[in-house]
Amino acid sequence: MAARRVGDNSYHPGMAPMLSRPGAPADTGRIVLRWFTGWWRIVHLGAQLMVLALSPSSYSPANRAAMARHIVVDTAPTLAWFTLLSSLISLVVIRIVVVTAASYGLSQYALQMVVRVLVLELIPLTAALFVALRISLPDGRELARMRLRGELDALLRRGIDPLRHEVLPRVIAGAFAVLMLAAVAGVVTLVLAYLSVHGFTLGGLERYTRTVGQVFSPAVTLIFTLKTFLLALAVSLIPVASALYDLPRGRARTSAELQALVRLFLVMLLIEAASLVGNYY
Amino acid sequence: MSEPPASPEPPPVAHLEFKAALLLALLVLLLAGSVLYVMYARGVFEPTQRLVLVADDSEGVAVGMDMTFSGFPIGRVRRIELAQDGAARILIDVPRKDARWLRESSVFTLTRSLVGSIAIRAYSGVLGDPPLPDGAERRVLVGDATAEIPQLVAATRDLVRNLTALSNADSALTAALGNVHAASERLKGRHGALGLLLGNDEDARKLVAALDRTNALLARVDGLAARVDGVVAKADAQVFGPDGVMPETRAAIVQLNGTLADARNTLRQADRLLAEAQAVASNAKVASADLGALRAEVESSLRKAEQLIDGINRRWPFARDTELKLR
Repeated sequence: MAARRVGDNSYHPGMAPMLSRPGAPADTGRIVLRWFTGWWRIVHLGAQLMVLALSPSSYSPANRAAMARHIVVDTAPTLAWFTLLSSLISLVVIRIVVVTAASYGLSQYALQMVVRVLVLELIPLTAALFVALRISLPDGRELARMRLRGELDALLRRGIDPLRHEVLPRVIAGAFAVLMLAAVAGVVTLVLAYLSVHGFTLGGLERYTRTVGQVFSPAVTLIFTLKTFLLALAVSLIPVASALYDLPRGRARTSAELQALVRLFLVMLLIEAASLVGNYY
Repeated sequence: MSEPPASPEPPPVAHLEFKAALLLALLVLLLAGSVLYVMYARGVFEPTQRLVLVADDSEGVAVGMDMTFSGFPIGRVRRIELAQDGAARILIDVPRKDARWLRESSVFTLTRSLVGSIAIRAYSGVLGDPPLPDGAERRVLVGDATAEIPQLVAATRDLVRNLTALSNADSALTAALGNVHAASERLKGRHGALGLLLGNDEDARKLVAALDRTNALLARVDGLAARVDGVVAKADAQVFGPDGVMPETRAAIVQLNGTLADARNTLRQADRLLAEAQAVASNAKVASADLGALRAEVESSLRKAEQLIDGINRRWPFARDTELKLR
């Protein structure tokens, strides 16, 4: 599980370096190979990190402190902002859906639609995007800088596994942030939906609970949970993995960060599409 | 090889462990709360009883949908399965606290609306009936708004066909309308409604001539009536005039009245005579009654005398002539 040192000033955890020569003539086979290798590295790193996250030895006091710091520093400031913004957007969407449904005489389906659209679909996606832009990409940039400066190699020389000490806390903090934001915003949205439809009274609670129960059937709940976890994983892992593996390409048209973002969007799109297919087919 | 400069250490966070623990606890709390709420919302913690509805067609029925009673959800569809006889069995879980609304006599319906989902409803007419037992199996009545559509379309098609037949060029309605048109043309013609009624102009002309003659007749009748008026006036003068029949008749009646008064007097006298005659008659009657008594006495005296003579004759035998002569 330990990272292997491959070359000076180029920390590559657990993976042989890639023979990519920037500026070489475009070779389709090489490009495809590089594309596949890039994904394979991400998957491999993800597997390594999951194993690390599940092994108790990763939770030494030093590592725990690093994790706690990342969790608090990353999540706490984001949480308030995100909750506020998502509440505002949720209120607008709830209002639009309820008023539109009422105008078509279908108000009995408005609540179901609100819960489905907001809690099941929009909020996890928004939380993942928010965390990616506010937390994961800056973390990835930081890691890339540390790698360029050789700090990771220095850690390795000092006998500290950078994967455990620097990468794992960031990934766990990112995933935690996604779950936290999604959970808080989801609960707040459920409360807001109830208040928008029924007002400040407990009279409609039973019927509302029933509606929520109808939406969260076992299959839908399973897909929702899986989707949120996968989004959290993708958001926390891909920018970090890109930062660790991608070489800075001076003459490339896109920066490594942008490339990470594109990869992340692609994965999020796939997860979202799969969840939609699972839910509605 | 020299050590690369380490990146500056981030500023320490106060109460780091506590805050991290707080965040973790919050997440765990939220997740656990959400899971518990969803389980409660899906009725996991409620004791339920089973109700089986049997339908010919379970299309549109989804697991998790509600069964309502008076608009309130009182049960959830748990499973839908196919029975051995091909009917659909809809297994519904009814919470025990709501099961009191379901009775032996309850009726269950499955209604499909044009917009929106299918609805399973329960109706309990008599709430005093014994409650529905656990695992009861009931036939569900299907009320389908969309099922009416094919019939409606078929009926509409028939209607359209009839309308088409009616509006054909050779249809009865068109012929009738043509006749109405001809009739209205007649109405507008020279003889108007008469021509329409009588059918041909000849008869109409005859009728008009008859009308004319009737008019002339009426004029003559008018003159006649004037003459009759004169006659009546004369008769009036003769009957009621000063020398008419009526005054004379009145005088005759006065005379007759006088005669009648005389006759009444005469009658009264006769009445008196009759009363006197009656008195005479009553006297005679009394006299005749006395005469009867006298005669009876004479007869008894005679009988005695006869008995006496008979006695003498017996004692006096020479007397031959026994006859007593009464003079």
